[in-house]
Amino acid sequence: MPQLGESIAEAAIINFLAPPGTVVKADQDLIEVETNKATMTVTAPCAGRVGAYTVELNESYAVGAVLGQIEATVEEIERSGLILQVTGESVEADVEARPEAPAGAYRVQPTVRGLPVPANAAGASYLSPRLKARMSELGLHAADLAGIAGSGAAGRVTIEDFEKFIASLEKQKMSKASTMRVAVADAMRRSWTRPIATVGLPVQLDPLLAHRKASSPKPGPALYALRALAIALSENSAPAGRLVGKKVIHPSSIDVGFAVEAEDGVLVPVIRHADQKPLKELVSRYNELVELARERKLPADATGGSIATVTNYGTFGLIWATPIPLPEQTMVLGMGAGRRMPFWDETKNQFVPVLEAYLTLSFDHRVLDGGGAGRLLARIADLMRHPELL
Amino acid sequence: MSITYLEAIREAQAVALRDDPRVFIYGQDVGAFGGAFKATKNLAREFPGRVFDAPISEDAMVGMAVGAAVEGLRPIVEMQFADFSTAGFNQIVNQAATLFWRTQVPCSMTVRLPFGGTSGSGPFHSQSLEAIYAHYPGLIVLTPATVEDAYSMLLEAVAIDDPVIFCEHKFLYYHLKAEKLPSEALPVGKARIAREGRDLTIVAYSAMVHEALAAAAELVPEGWEIEVVDLRSVKPLDTDTIMASVARTGRLLCVGEAWPWGGVTAEVIARVATEGFGLLDVPPQRLNAKDTPVPYHPNLWAAHRPAARAITDAARKMLRL
Repeated sequence: MPQLGESIAEAAIINFLAPPGTVVKADQDLIEVETNKATMTVTAPCAGRVGAYTVELNESYAVGAVLGQIEATVEEIERSGLILQVTGESVEADVEARPEAPAGAYRVQPTVRGLPVPANAAGASYLSPRLKARMSELGLHAADLAGIAGSGAAGRVTIEDFEKFIASLEKQKMSKASTMRVAVADAMRRSWTRPIATVGLPVQLDPLLAHRKASSPKPGPALYALRALAIALSENSAPAGRLVGKKVIHPSSIDVGFAVEAEDGVLVPVIRHADQKPLKELVSRYNELVELARERKLPADATGGSIATVTNYGTFGLIWATPIPLPEQTMVLGMGAGRRMPFWDETKNQFVPVLEAYLTLSFDHRVLDGGGAGRLLARIADLMRHPELL
Repeated sequence: MSITYLEAIREAQAVALRDDPRVFIYGQDVGAFGGAFKATKNLAREFPGRVFDAPISEDAMVGMAVGAAVEGLRPIVEMQFADFSTAGFNQIVNQAATLFWRTQVPCSMTVRLPFGGTSGSGPFHSQSLEAIYAHYPGLIVLTPATVEDAYSMLLEAVAIDDPVIFCEHKFLYYHLKAEKLPSEALPVGKARIAREGRDLTIVAYSAMVHEALAAAAELVPEGWEIEVVDLRSVKPLDTDTIMASVARTGRLLCVGEAWPWGGVTAEVIARVATEGFGLLDVPPQRLNAKDTPVPYHPNLWAAHRPAARAITDAARKMLRL
């Protein structure tokens, strides 16, 4: 029963105009009906053969009621936009089409502008408000999500991915990370937001070892490197500048730190004005700071505020590494383990054994280019080959 | 026995007339004719002197009802179509809505708005006006989606001391049937979880609840479990139930048959974004009728309103984000 007028709820059947079996055209009158207001006709929604009427004369039927069937071809049904009802082998369309449009007949955009979601609110780097809220609740950083393969658009980590990840962790043994570990993790994470590069250079240590043997008290190998770095930076401190926005912040004094391994972490005591005191005057202060660091009793004036750090990873037998500078520093100078290496001696015209170690310089590539880093490292190596200058 | 949404509305009015002598019905052709949609069929005969035909003036109808309410009666005003209620808008929003706040005299009246689109009804017989009434303090706006709610909420509307805009959807009048009328119901202002789910919350009301449920069923074979919240009343709005649902699913899609601009869907999203931003795993979305007058042509009308297919399209995009 079609909608016959604005306020027509139902209509009574008063006459069948096309008996079952009649071949009818679309819009041909089929049934005469009577409403409160007038007598009207129900017309064929499509061309076809009248099958059967399923209503009775002089009875009232509500709008939307099925009145009967018309047998029509699939093409005709599709043409008229009606719903297919497959019954046995014949395909029939109800005389009264359902008020909803048929599936597939139209496609609407979900919003007025047709943009269902903001285009930037997707992708692996998108953290939803809910994800951020949960991470904050659990004290997690974006780096902690690295192990989750996101199932969202373009690899986005959805809240479901996150909760599954958290649930999976609970099945494993967990221990509380030390305050030191958390602090180191935080520093490394912040530092890693920059593009960090590393350059390396071998340096012969024989003159340095000879100098050390003759000295009293004996400076540690890292102190030679520290002093060489301080002198090199005093000649040109720009490479140790920090880039903040469009400005380079130059160091105000050559304060250099050095890495000391402590339980479950690393401490970085600082030697102030390392460019202004000769090596031999730094030895006792250096040794004192190493001890204080191991006891974790560094005074406030011996930590923080340094412009670069020296790390002697050679003490672990490592010959090469790419240390990460502290987040507030632009560079870290690394020193590998010394090894006996064959060296071609031009004067003797033969190989001679030398003690050689790699120096590495890891730096913020935004501030420093490979050439600048290479020149700085070459100057440091040069100074270390001439320890009497330190 | 089976009872339609329309019959439930008639039954509720019969019960209200029977149980409370202060109740009367006023509207165009509600008497002997039984109303434009037959929602008051036979009531004039069953309750002589309590069901009155009104002149063709919505302004006069509501104005008279406000006066009756001031005198302690509980009028039910029938608009033939919600669209025509704008001719009585001043009386509803300036008189009825403000009366208690101005005078401490309650304005207990119910205005029935047959609303929403049906095929071929066009721009003057299809509108959804719940948002403009919800905008005004002092009015309660109910939007039942089921036969049971149509019955119990209309009875509650008559019992409430505030003016109630009762939005009954014409599309549901004949299509929706129930086995029997309910003996108890959720209170007004409480939303209903029409379907439980896990992946996405669809907030809808009135006829759109059924489109949302159809969309939810369509998404089951794809492995998605959609939660459907039936608001039942758009004012008061049950923010707690919505928020609890979004907390479960992390995704919010609001569906309304009214126009998008400043509507109920916008209000729901505004509340969730304000109070529950941290619950959202994807940007909340809304789906409304197109921002144009309601078209006459059945095909255009079907494309104008948000039907199940448009809802599943929108839901899929959110689920895959």
